[in-house]
Amino acid sequence: MLSFDFEYYKPASIDEAVQLFQSLDRQGKNPSYISGGTELITLGRVNKIVTGAVIDIKAIPECLVLEKQGTQLVFGAAQSLTVVREKQFFPLLSKAIVEIADHTARNKITLGGNICANIIYREAVLPLLLTDSTLAVAGLNGLIQYPINDIFQQTLQLDRGEFLVQVITHKQETELPFVCLKKRRQWDVGYPLLTAAALNKNGQIKLAISGLCSFPFRDKRMEYSLNNRSLSMKARIEEAVSRIPAPVLNDVHGSAEYRVFVLENTLQEILAEWEGAGDA
Amino acid sequence: MSQSIGKSIYRKEALEKVTGKAKYTDDYPAAGTLHVKLAVSPYAHARIIAIDTSKAGEVPGVRAILLGQPFPLTGEEIKDRPPLAFERVRYHGEPVAAVVADTPHQAKRAAELIAVTYEPLPVINSPREALQPDAVLIHENLETYEKIEHVYPEAKTNIADRTKIRKGNMEQGWTESDVTLEASFSLSPSDHIAMETRCVTAEIRPDGFVVFSSSTQSPYMIMELMSRYFQLEKGKIIVNTPFVGGGYGGKVAVQLELIAYLATLAVGGRPVKLLNTREEDMITSPVHIGLDADIKLGATQEGKLKVAQITYLFDTGAYSDKGVTISRAAAITCTGPYQLENIWCDSLCVYTNHPYATAYRGFSHAELLFVFERAMDMLAKKLNIDPLELRRINAFLPGATTPTQIRLNESTVGNLPQCIDRLKQLMNWKEGQVTQVNGRKIRVKGVSCIWKTSTIDTEASSGVVLTFNVDGSVNILSGIVEIGTGTKTILAQLLAEKLKMDIKKIHVKMEVDTQTTPKHWKTVASRGTLMAGRALLKAADDAVVQLKDTASRVLMCSPDDLEVANDMIYVRDEPDTFIHVKDVCHGYKYPSGHSIGGQVIGRGNYILRHLTHIDHETGAGRPGPEYTVGAQGVEVEFDTKEFTYKVLKAFAVIDIGKVLNKKAAEGQVMGAMSMGLNFGSSETFVVSDDGIILNPRLRTYVPFRYGDHPEYLVHFLETPHIDGPFGARGVGEHGLIGMPAALANSLSIASGVELTMLPLTPESIWKETGGG
Repeated sequence: MLSFDFEYYKPASIDEAVQLFQSLDRQGKNPSYISGGTELITLGRVNKIVTGAVIDIKAIPECLVLEKQGTQLVFGAAQSLTVVREKQFFPLLSKAIVEIADHTARNKITLGGNICANIIYREAVLPLLLTDSTLAVAGLNGLIQYPINDIFQQTLQLDRGEFLVQVITHKQETELPFVCLKKRRQWDVGYPLLTAAALNKNGQIKLAISGLCSFPFRDKRMEYSLNNRSLSMKARIEEAVSRIPAPVLNDVHGSAEYRVFVLENTLQEILAEWEGAGDA
Repeated sequence: MSQSIGKSIYRKEALEKVTGKAKYTDDYPAAGTLHVKLAVSPYAHARIIAIDTSKAGEVPGVRAILLGQPFPLTGEEIKDRPPLAFERVRYHGEPVAAVVADTPHQAKRAAELIAVTYEPLPVINSPREALQPDAVLIHENLETYEKIEHVYPEAKTNIADRTKIRKGNMEQGWTESDVTLEASFSLSPSDHIAMETRCVTAEIRPDGFVVFSSSTQSPYMIMELMSRYFQLEKGKIIVNTPFVGGGYGGKVAVQLELIAYLATLAVGGRPVKLLNTREEDMITSPVHIGLDADIKLGATQEGKLKVAQITYLFDTGAYSDKGVTISRAAAITCTGPYQLENIWCDSLCVYTNHPYATAYRGFSHAELLFVFERAMDMLAKKLNIDPLELRRINAFLPGATTPTQIRLNESTVGNLPQCIDRLKQLMNWKEGQVTQVNGRKIRVKGVSCIWKTSTIDTEASSGVVLTFNVDGSVNILSGIVEIGTGTKTILAQLLAEKLKMDIKKIHVKMEVDTQTTPKHWKTVASRGTLMAGRALLKAADDAVVQLKDTASRVLMCSPDDLEVANDMIYVRDEPDTFIHVKDVCHGYKYPSGHSIGGQVIGRGNYILRHLTHIDHETGAGRPGPEYTVGAQGVEVEFDTKEFTYKVLKAFAVIDIGKVLNKKAAEGQVMGAMSMGLNFGSSETFVVSDDGIILNPRLRTYVPFRYGDHPEYLVHFLETPHIDGPFGARGVGEHGLIGMPAALANSLSIASGVELTMLPLTPESIWKETGGG
């Protein structure tokens, strides 16, 4: 139950949505775009999200595209995780998605919603970072495409009034060998201690991680260490771990020290996938 | 051939439930009902300096705002708890104020606007801390509280009660021992996580009747306690209880009813509803108790237990409500199901700044067995004896005496050695406890024995009324609350057996209404089948006498010559001479018009026999009727590198006296086993240094989800409890109580470290093995 009142709008076009935001913002309604609406409910009920107006983007055609266009895959931001996964266009994305929340929740949570979520994990981002995907963002200046590795810095860096419309990924990137491992405190459903996704492109390992720090990231220095084959496997992992870009989380799911222990094991698993058990 | 007993008959409420039509307290329409929302404490221990309700009062629709008062103080054994905190909060989540408003939204909005100024106080985060000489006192005036006779709070300490077991001669026990073993264990509080969060409605009718509807396991206790706390006339309190969506002990406590009563009182008796959110249900309402424990065992080289010295420090949280009763129950069966001549046990109920405790399925037994059965495995290792063999050597047998010095016989205790033998077969014990799966993974087996009696009020009773419909079908009225255990279906089966009739013609009233339903003490402690079952059999006898009386006059014979079966009353050796039950159950009408008999109403009751309080100095006494025993095990696959594991199989062999409904009994045991495994492996509150519960929601408090379950293997033995209906023993809780210990025993072997804490997460195992 939400104790605050808010207005609900469901525009049919990108333009309408953008204009609506501007006008509601001028009226001081602190508007929010929503798609699946799950965080509005779960965070709104504890007043961690408070808004005077929501703009539902689910009726905007561009946000619902889900197709192969030539060499590219296009994912509408308002498609549910379940639908995106079931299309199986992008196996690594499907794997990352199936570990998020539970099936019932994934029927509501959308791809755009997960990428823009308040929740710190945002695991759908990991495959997109690894494949250098492109994000189409709508705003006052129209629909503009940005490389995700530029515009996603801890969170998606949107200007006020902008919203994510589509994710565009090169088909050939989605065909690369991958590993995606989600490690939890206990059992098989729920938040991660960490989720590590890795892609092997011509022998070079790309790595993105969620749950380890307070935001998902892909770190080039950690990747460099992992790929530094002049070192032993153990040393590569040690060096990668020493380059974690932010403080390691210490929370109800696990202590920081334990997360590092889990990360070391996970990196070993990733390297073992492509290089055998090695000397680690 | 049995008519009904032992058959896997569908629950009488099955169709209601599987179609989603079954109604729970919150589902009943509530025209004109006002809504209550609590404001709760964000601190675990603090002084309340000021409460500003001015902004809250401005919210449209607000009818009243209630704040804490010095009286009444409440609590089942010690009156230490104001329904709303007064001057001081003692746990995170404690209710501080209650808003009554026209709609739930208005109530919530107003509750969020109540501004409370707190001054934080030092926090006590464990029983061991609470017993430190310089520990802050959570109840400074403990000695001034009203209390019942058989509870012993210790003034100027944090000890709400101490139960002592003194049996035999400890010195002799140590002298006779070749080997001793000492260990300490602990587990944090957690929660029940019933699917239905607690809900209550209350109103004061113009005629003065106070009417509740509550998701409770103890509607009759609400009458009793409301009367005790608020000096209400007992006969003018009515409690309705529809289906309850899981209790697990959590709905034994009377808490929200007190606030709902104060709320309806504040709005002139208008109906009010108070429904917990999940967060409130987890920490504002009472929780599953925590424990710190020390144990020392002595045994001979051959493995014969000689002596046990145990200290249980139960974490009752901020208030003592059921915590005292739980800590007492732990003392009573403090050793686990073993023959021991020399026992010293102190079981303390200790205040901390945690959410306060109430009953939890097993009522202290899963906790005490975690301690004792871990110690048994450690002892077995020290003695180099097979752990099941050590248990078999010491198994409690008929003729032995309990820690409270009661001699049990074949009826009052089941057959533990046979349970152990059966478990060995089921688990393929001769294969060995450890099997290598691959370079990293091993499969490991762990075991635990169990026993439990039910330490309940000595005057606890149950009543049953049977009424007949004109078509000869029968209605059962019993004060058992249908909390999901299927007990009301069991009652129908008992009646079908007794009257030799089709169970389809037996109807069970599911809802309880204390004004018209005969009282059943409380739906707790695995006592439903014994107490209500016995009352039902007596009611059936009573109805049969009445049926035979009328029929004997119609059939012109002695009632002694008659039998009742298959909807007929017939002459025993001339079955062709009969009359239908439907033709006499509302009186018999002769062709002339003359009528005799009148409607048949069967009535029966049962009160537990020969129960006593226990002696304060020695613990001697008979606090419970029969004991159920059993043996349980788990098989886990353990990753020696990551310390992660999967529970592959879980086993239970329980001597339940008589299987009344096979699938229902298996369901009870499997459900209980899953709870035990959850509590052993994952469920716990994560508490910060300042006493804040960091995970009071299901996102971060993780029980099994669909697909996480192991394979459950459940086996029953049937050593009759002569007093029980058809020989049955209680089985509602027993599947749970050995699971945490069995899991901990398997993982201790797997990890090579003696694990001493619950829950057993990969991180906790990693830490105990020296990681981090």
